Amino acid sequence: MFYRYFPFWKIFFEGLGWSVKTSEGVRQKEKIVYFEDSCLPMKLLVTHAVQLREKVDYLFVPRLVSIHSSFIMCPKFRGAPDIVRLATERKVSVIDETIDLRKGGVSLFQSFLKIGKKLGASKQESKNAFREAEDSFSKFRKGWVDRINRLPTGQLFEVNIPTPALRRVQGSPEPRWIQGPSPEPHMVQGAASSFEVGGKEKNSPLRVAFIGHPYNLFDVDISKGCLSLAKGLGMEIVTSDILSEKEIDREVSNLSKEIYWSSGREIVGSLFHFLSGGVDGVVFLTSFKCGIDALLQEFIKRRLKVLGGPSLPLLMLSLDEHTSREGLMTRLEAFRDVVEERRSDSQIVK
Amino acid sequence: MKVTFPRLGSMHIFCKAIAETAGIPYVIPPETSRKTLTLGVLHSNECICLPFKMILGNFIEALQKGADTIVMVGSGPPCRLGLYDLVQKVILEDMGLHYRWLTIPPRLTWGAIWKNHEETKELRKELSAKNVLLFPYGLWMGWKKMMACEGLERLAMKVRPLEIKKGETQRRLKKALSWVDEAKTAKVLEEAIRRGKVLLEEMEQDHSRRPFRVAVVGELYTVMDPHINRGVEQKLGELGAEVTRTSWFSTHILRTMRKNKADRASERMRFFEASKAYLGYDVGAECNVSVGEAILRSKEGYDGVVHLMPFACMPETTASGILTKVGQEWDIPILTLILDEQEIEGRIQTLLEAFVEMLEWKRRAA
Repeated sequence: MFYRYFPFWKIFFEGLGWSVKTSEGVRQKEKIVYFEDSCLPMKLLVTHAVQLREKVDYLFVPRLVSIHSSFIMCPKFRGAPDIVRLATERKVSVIDETIDLRKGGVSLFQSFLKIGKKLGASKQESKNAFREAEDSFSKFRKGWVDRINRLPTGQLFEVNIPTPALRRVQGSPEPRWIQGPSPEPHMVQGAASSFEVGGKEKNSPLRVAFIGHPYNLFDVDISKGCLSLAKGLGMEIVTSDILSEKEIDREVSNLSKEIYWSSGREIVGSLFHFLSGGVDGVVFLTSFKCGIDALLQEFIKRRLKVLGGPSLPLLMLSLDEHTSREGLMTRLEAFRDVVEERRSDSQIVK
Repeated sequence: MKVTFPRLGSMHIFCKAIAETAGIPYVIPPETSRKTLTLGVLHSNECICLPFKMILGNFIEALQKGADTIVMVGSGPPCRLGLYDLVQKVILEDMGLHYRWLTIPPRLTWGAIWKNHEETKELRKELSAKNVLLFPYGLWMGWKKMMACEGLERLAMKVRPLEIKKGETQRRLKKALSWVDEAKTAKVLEEAIRRGKVLLEEMEQDHSRRPFRVAVVGELYTVMDPHINRGVEQKLGELGAEVTRTSWFSTHILRTMRKNKADRASERMRFFEASKAYLGYDVGAECNVSVGEAILRSKEGYDGVVHLMPFACMPETTASGILTKVGQEWDIPILTLILDEQEIEGRIQTLLEAFVEMLEWKRRAA
C-alpha cells in the first residue's frame, strides 16, 4: 500500500529523525526475485526488499490486516512481513507492526506509537511525528487527483515535487498542463500526437476511469506506465480516489453478500459507479493471479451481462511481468478509438 | 423441491443421509469428472481457485439433473471461499439456470440466523411437518455416517501401504463405503461399519514392511477431495507410505461450532502455535496450520510432508513460500503440489514416485 500511504509514512519516519530510503524499482524482469509463486505485486515486494537489504537499518513492511473499520485486506498482506523476513534471510530487521483498524482492533495512532517505540523515540516524539504526518498526508490527498494527471507516474509519490499548476498555453483553447521536471519522453510525444488527432475538433479530453488496486495503477513495474500511455493518448485520468465512501457503498450494499475486502469493495463499487455515468470509459487493471481480482472480475462480467451489458466501453487488462508496453499501447489505442467513436456518435444523435 | 449440495470427498454420503432420513427430495451431483471440471472452467475466470470451478461444475450438473435448491456451506473472510456464493449465483443466473440458494452460516450468530430465516422462508412452506420432525434424526444419522466414513478411510490409510495386491485396499474401501451409504437405519449402519472394518482388516497384508510416514497438509478442499488431488492419498499409500491427515469434515465442523476452541491442547491449536516461529499473524484458512503441522511432523519423526494447494490459492501461496524454508531448516522433505484443471495425473504420479524414492535414500543414509 506504498501507493496510497507512502507520504504519511515518510513524514512520520522523517519526523522521528530517520532518513527514508525506497528501492529503485525493478525495471527489468530478469531482476525479479522469485521467492514464491505469487502475484506480481508480491514478487516485486520481495524483490524490493532484497534490493534494500544491505542498504538500510530497518525495513518497514507493516502487517496490513485491515485499513477500514469493518473490512479487511487481502490475506497475502498478513503474511507479507514473514515472507520478506525469510526472503532476506533474516538479515535485516523488519518493522512489521500489525495495522488492524477493525472495531476492537488497535487504532492507527497506537500502532504508530509502537513503531516509534521500536525505533527508540519517546511517546511525545512519535505523537508529534504522527500529527505532522497526518496533516501533510491530508494535504497531499487533496492535491492527489490533479497530481495523477499532471505528473509522470514515477514522480507521483515524490513528495518534494509540487503539483504543477494549470497554465493556459497560448493558442490553445484548452488549459494544458505543463509536464513535471523530467517528463517521460514518450509522454511528450504522445501528448503532441493526441493534440493533432483529438484536440482540434474535440474540446474536452476523454475522461477515463482507471480502476484497480493502487499498486496496479501506480507502480511502473506492474502497470508498465499504463497511466502515462493513456495520458499520452489524450485521456484524462479519473480514479476511485475522487469518490466518497458513500458513493462506493451505494453500489455494493445491495449485493446478496457483503464483499469483505476493502480494496475489492472499492473496485466493484467505483466500477459500477463510473459505468453509470460521469466518464467516457472505464479501464480495470488487474494483476495476474490476484485472487481478489480474479473472483471480482468474473463477478463484474457476469453481473454486467445479467444487467444487460455495460453502458460504457469497459477494458479489462491483466498485467504480469511478461506484459509488454507495446501490447498495452495497442489495446489502449483501440480503446481510445472506441471511446471516441462512441462520443462522436452520441453527439450526432443530439 | 429438490436439494443438492457440492460433492467433496465422501461428503455426499452423509448429506444424502440427512436428506433421505428427513424425507427431503435430493439430487446428488454426478461424480466429479472431466466434464464437471470443464463446465466449471468454462464458466469462470482462469485465476479463480480450483474448488470454485469444481463446485460450480457440480452445481451446473446437478441443476441440469433436475435439482432446484442449492445448499452450500458458507465461510468467513479472508479466504475467497466466503464469496463463492456471491459470484456463483450471478454465474448461474447468467447461464439461465433457475435455483434457490441456502447458505449454511459459518458462524452461528444472530445475524446469520436471521439471514437464514429469510432464505428459508419459502423453502419451509414446502416442507411437511414430517420433514421438520425427522430433521434432527437426519442430522444425527448424517453425523454417524460421516464418522463411519472417516473411520473407514483412516483405517484404509493405515493398511494401504501393507497391501500385497496393489489397489486391493481401494476396492475394499469403496465397497465398505457403499455399505455405509446404503444403510437406512441405525442398526444396519452399525452392522455396515463393523463389516467394513473387518473387510479392510482381513485383507492380505505384509507386516514386514516398514512404511514411510507422510503427512498431507494444505488447503482443506484439495486435501479432502480425491478428485481434485487426483488421489494423492491412494497413490502415496500404494507407493508404500502411511498417510496422515488432520483435515476431516468432523474437524472442520467442530471447529466452526467452536467445540474444540476452548481445548487448548487440540491438534489444530498445537499446529497453530508451532507456526508462530514463521508467521506472526493468522493468515487465514489453513495457512498457519499447514506450516505448523510441517514443523511438528518433523519433530515427531515423520519422513515427509506433502503440501497440497489449488493454483492461485491466496493463503496457501504464502504457506508454500514459507514451507520451502521450513523444509530446509527442519530437515524434512516437503513436496508442494499445485493443482489446477490441467491433466496432471501422470505428472503427480511421477512426482510422488520420485518423492518416495527420495525418502528411501534418506532412510538408507540415516
